[in-house]
Amino acid sequence: MEAHAMERVSAEPRVTEARGPRRNWVRPVLMWLGVAAIVIFCLFPFYWLVNVSLKTGADLSQADLFPPNPSLDNYDSIFKNGDFTSALRNSIIVTTITTVLALVVGSFAAYALARLRFPNKFLLLGVILSISTFPPIAIAAPIFKLWTDLGLYDTYAGLIIPYLTFALPLAIYILTSFFKEIPKELEEAALVDGATYFQAFRKVILPLAAPGLVTAGLLTAFFVWNEFLLAQTLTSSPKAFTVPVAVANFTGSSKFEIPLGTISAASVVITVPLVAAVIIFQKRIVAGLTAGAVKG
Amino acid sequence: MEAATARIGRGKRRKKKDKSYGTEERRLAALLLSPAMVVILLVAAYPIGYAVWLSLTEYSVRVPGLWRFVGFDNYSEAFGSTEFWDAVKTTFLFTIISVTLELAIGLAMALAMHAAFKGRGLLRTVILVPWAVLTVVSAITWKTLFEPNLGLVPTILGKFGIAENVVWLGQSGYALTVMIVADVWKTAPFMALLLLAGLQVIPDDVYDAAKVDGATTWQRFRSITLPLLLPAILVALIFRTLDALRIFDLPFVLTGGTNGTSTLSLIAQKELTTNNLIGYGSALSVLTFIIVMAVSFIYIKSVGGNIRSLAEDD
Amino acid sequence: MMKTPRMLAALVVSALFAIAGCGGGGDDSGGTPQAEKATQAKATGDVTWCIGKDTTGSFSTVVDNFNKANPKANAKLVELPTSADDQRRLQVQRLRAKSSECDVLGMDVIWTAEYAAQGWLKDVSDYISQNGDKFIKSTVDTTDYNGKNWAVPFNSNAGFIYYRTDEVNSAPKDWESLYKEAADKNGIVYQGFRYEGLTVNFLELLYSKGGSIISDDGKTSTADSQEVKDVLKFMGDGIKNGSAPKAVTTYQEEESRRAFESGGATFMRNWPYAYALGKKSKIGSKFDIANFPGFSGQQGAGVLGGYNLGISAFSKNPSGSLAFIEFATKPDQQKIMATEASLPPTTSATYDDPAVKKALPFADQLKTAIEQAKPRPVSPVYPQISEAVYNNVYDVLQGKASPDDAAKKMNDEINKALQTF
Repeated sequence: MEAHAMERVSAEPRVTEARGPRRNWVRPVLMWLGVAAIVIFCLFPFYWLVNVSLKTGADLSQADLFPPNPSLDNYDSIFKNGDFTSALRNSIIVTTITTVLALVVGSFAAYALARLRFPNKFLLLGVILSISTFPPIAIAAPIFKLWTDLGLYDTYAGLIIPYLTFALPLAIYILTSFFKEIPKELEEAALVDGATYFQAFRKVILPLAAPGLVTAGLLTAFFVWNEFLLAQTLTSSPKAFTVPVAVANFTGSSKFEIPLGTISAASVVITVPLVAAVIIFQKRIVAGLTAGAVKG
Repeated sequence: MEAATARIGRGKRRKKKDKSYGTEERRLAALLLSPAMVVILLVAAYPIGYAVWLSLTEYSVRVPGLWRFVGFDNYSEAFGSTEFWDAVKTTFLFTIISVTLELAIGLAMALAMHAAFKGRGLLRTVILVPWAVLTVVSAITWKTLFEPNLGLVPTILGKFGIAENVVWLGQSGYALTVMIVADVWKTAPFMALLLLAGLQVIPDDVYDAAKVDGATTWQRFRSITLPLLLPAILVALIFRTLDALRIFDLPFVLTGGTNGTSTLSLIAQKELTTNNLIGYGSALSVLTFIIVMAVSFIYIKSVGGNIRSLAEDD
Repeated sequence: MMKTPRMLAALVVSALFAIAGCGGGGDDSGGTPQAEKATQAKATGDVTWCIGKDTTGSFSTVVDNFNKANPKANAKLVELPTSADDQRRLQVQRLRAKSSECDVLGMDVIWTAEYAAQGWLKDVSDYISQNGDKFIKSTVDTTDYNGKNWAVPFNSNAGFIYYRTDEVNSAPKDWESLYKEAADKNGIVYQGFRYEGLTVNFLELLYSKGGSIISDDGKTSTADSQEVKDVLKFMGDGIKNGSAPKAVTTYQEEESRRAFESGGATFMRNWPYAYALGKKSKIGSKFDIANFPGFSGQQGAGVLGGYNLGISAFSKNPSGSLAFIEFATKPDQQKIMATEASLPPTTSATYDDPAVKKALPFADQLKTAIEQAKPRPVSPVYPQISEAVYNNVYDVLQGKASPDDAAKKMNDEINKALQTF
């Protein structure tokens, strides 16, 4: 059994060593307990959210584990709420545009960093990456003032530009890693055949880097969809506010019983697509998130 | 064009760094990098500069538009205020506790996932759910779970006689606890993922050799797993520490910053928007910025390896 | 071919500017809007009214009525969150951004001075001088800053004691006996969270003792006084000996209302709005309302609350906005809000209307309370003053500070706030 274990790819589960008859049942039980614990830990709060979203009226004052009178009223009312639907629309538009731009601009930069040679690369990469560590509060007020003067307050562009700044470092980092993985010979062959850099980029690198693009795109989209501080500072009307802002202002800081059900319904509605995306693209996301951990 | 191509081919075979880059290559690089750099400089560098300028001024709250230059007064006020130092204390306390917990729980999860021979696919999916939930939504959910009278947690704890009559979000210490719980829930799985990736790279032979030598599970963990996992742990630590230092969404929605949950970002925002103190609020923002950047600088110095390898020309 | 990346970059940048589209800058026209009488049917254009959540639907009714009476105008209601602090934050954000999104602002009376000082409101002194006699004088005073009027009183407010008629025979005569009775029965709930509402609760007690936190000329703090320390001690002891549950330190208006309505308290301090809602709840027939008692031997005191309507300095339709404000403050509209939302009118005549008297059985007491209520300090730095008050009161309620220390700290912090540039 040992020999087979060593031949397996390291991603496969490690087979434990030969066990005595007494310890036969302990490990599987422990393992299943561990699995169960993790599943409950991860899923319970989300379950609770769904639970509350199906409650209405007086049920909301009770802490029941299951809705005594489940109803879809809350879902019905949020979709009729103009603010919520506007926020959904705004979030989708801002996220899509930012992601596309981040990928385009990011791949240009990543190509330069991965393939071309020029002085001060380390410094440049360091500067780019350090941007992603900025605390958003530090730039929120200045950008607010700037946008007010330029007329970009409460607009899509007003959000897309700062989001791009924060999304680019991550996108560039991931794409650079992916580009570097692609063997230079392929490009060189194309260049020798008379292609320009750009053609080589478009026809050789891009298709191979597609997984990297998907990963960078997903992570960018997640970041933009989730962002709260800048969205709240730079928007205030259904013209441009995004989902996190709408949901947070649903609540305000008061605890009205009635909105609690609708807030939960709204929260479920915006989380379910994300969870679905996570399930579908799980491998890509993990690859992107762990890109830094494993390399080097 | 030919020369450039030839140079690329030659570059690979060279051992020394070739400093004679073609100007075309550099121009192309400049071109490709310019959109990114323009955006970054415009939106990051300029506002920081503006924030620093604002922090040296004071805008009147009595006469619209009137302002004056006050030098470092705002900063000395910050350093002399309990609110600022409380926020520093709270932010670092929160960061240290939650990052430690996230690391520990994340490691436990990663080890469990690594050892599990069934249910792996399920686990990898399930583990991303907390990460997929919006921060704002997570904050609202935990706020509901801990609400006095209506919340599930006080109800359950009450049945065991624990923490009865505690108004979780209304009391110092307890409110921070809820904040930590909410943050750990959301990010321990993310840590688990990073650590799992690190675990999977460790070859089995190393463990097998150790087993042959008679090492116990604990000894194997301590001498093999931990050291080999260190790079992954460091990366996870950087991400999480910097995020925790900057945290805003969670305390804002959870408590509005009351009862010992005021973080640096939160007090900066409060002074800016609630008290109309543009200068002072900007000073607080700049101080937050400096603190975060200082910590990130320390980290990058120690883990710069990854970045260096990316920047290397091959 | 080298041009292609450059073209792409140019395309991207121009696309960005194309999306920039219409910004939020409103035109900053100065000057007072014409204060003509009977501007109603001539009102035109869009008017957006930004005010807190319309919990009873009465705001929407007023908007609909306005639109019906002014077919050429189009009024719209934008609801802000229920918490006053959030409403202010969202209004201030728009005003700082010079956004023209809100034409008419529903402002808590304490924000009027601050907004005026920042140049965010249009001067309506002419309108007030022509129409001011309709309103109760104390409410008009809240619109005054630096000798000019910056808003029109919309609704007023003064707090009351609600009490369970099945648990106590009559409203207590003074605060001391109220707290004692509360300790014996199910306690008193009030707004003890760390926010503006706590300042109000505190001042109601303080004013009854004849105390103050700011000197009359508004230049120095008077918080380090025996009256302040006595009130702090009184409130702190109230929690220690069970007159008020510890949970009050997490309550704003809604939480205390719900605690009272669920039967969990004998007494409640709250605004009149809770009356109509309480009557619809399960304790509907079991409670009544009374003016504040004073401390023994002294007069009960009130703190003036309420909302004013102001015109944003960045509004694109100042005349339409003024017409809307005039409409909303007419006695017949004020009557709707009194009967449906228990919002005390600011026009004296409305209190005599039979329908109002029926919906608010305590209408006379209310009018008196409002006439006699004192305003909170009128100052552009009021948020900081209030913060100094509620932070220190809160520490005493939580048992973290002694009344003496808290009073001194409050004093220092208020003085510092008053020195703000």
